[in-house]
Amino acid sequence: MMTSYACCPTDISRTPSRVFIVLRLFLGAVFIYASYDKILHPQAFAQAVYNYRILPDALVNLTALILPWLELLLGLCLAAGFWLPGATMISTGLLMIFIGSLAFNRMRGLDISCGCFATQNIEGPADLWTMVRDLIFLAVSIYLTLVVFFFRSADLQSSASKQPLQTRFRP
Amino acid sequence: MNRSFSISVQQSLWQIPALIALAVIIALGVNHWRSDGIPLVGDWSMEARFSDAAGESLIIELAQARRLFEEDDGVLFVDARLKSEYAQEHISGALSLPWQDADRYFAETAGRLESRKTIVAYCDGEDCDLSHELALFLKDMGFENVRVLVNGLTVWRKAGLPIETGN
Repeated sequence: MMTSYACCPTDISRTPSRVFIVLRLFLGAVFIYASYDKILHPQAFAQAVYNYRILPDALVNLTALILPWLELLLGLCLAAGFWLPGATMISTGLLMIFIGSLAFNRMRGLDISCGCFATQNIEGPADLWTMVRDLIFLAVSIYLTLVVFFFRSADLQSSASKQPLQTRFRP
Repeated sequence: MNRSFSISVQQSLWQIPALIALAVIIALGVNHWRSDGIPLVGDWSMEARFSDAAGESLIIELAQARRLFEEDDGVLFVDARLKSEYAQEHISGALSLPWQDADRYFAETAGRLESRKTIVAYCDGEDCDLSHELALFLKDMGFENVRVLVNGLTVWRKAGLPIETGN
């Protein structure tokens, strides 16, 4: 295992492509921006989480407290290119959960802006746009995850303190 | 490609819990030290959800609302839902003040609101927060006696009390 890696790295690209970097920075910025208001106004965000009517009441506040900071950390990691395997996985997972929650509530006719079940379909174009927007973010996140997991050589994944594996095993 | 995958998987196995743990620690720490922190387990009971800034419940019971409707001329019911929903059906004599456009409609209706002793805001559905938001808004505007009839339209209709349609 050591010898084969030291001599012949099998990864296709050893330097990250420009597209990858731009999208990584973009998604990072999205998460950082998304977290800002929620961190500043925890009670308002808790109300928003409650209005989704998905989590049990007892978990609403904890989720409202932790989620924004997780988004901020994700955004920073993505932007800095730090801990990418973990960051991209969580990012993809979170976006899937967000979209799933939106779709679920859309299906059961819950208006999340007020937490009420609409007797008629009064959903505006704004709600559809939110889902489309999140789907775009999800696509970006999936792309980043795939690149990180399949196309990045180990020395680019490691954090700055670690030596590249190749130099470590060189005779 | 294979090598990259297994290393990434290994790294993600500790990075994921680490990121989550970091988020938890920072979140709880910041929440503890800030002046506007929230309780770790919130009170989402109906009384708590329908209270004002001071924590006092704004809820008015159906029986009391009915009595005001039948006996008190100084009461005004305010429908916090959209105009289209109001037009379909609303409590008799109620004023339409959609929360989504509260600023605009308030300017138009302020005259009618001012003379009233009691304002009862309502919407539809037990979890509907429009009436609550509207009540808080009206309180901010200076109205003192503002209450919320939870799930107003449905309980009113079920009790067989007067309902109107149209504008």
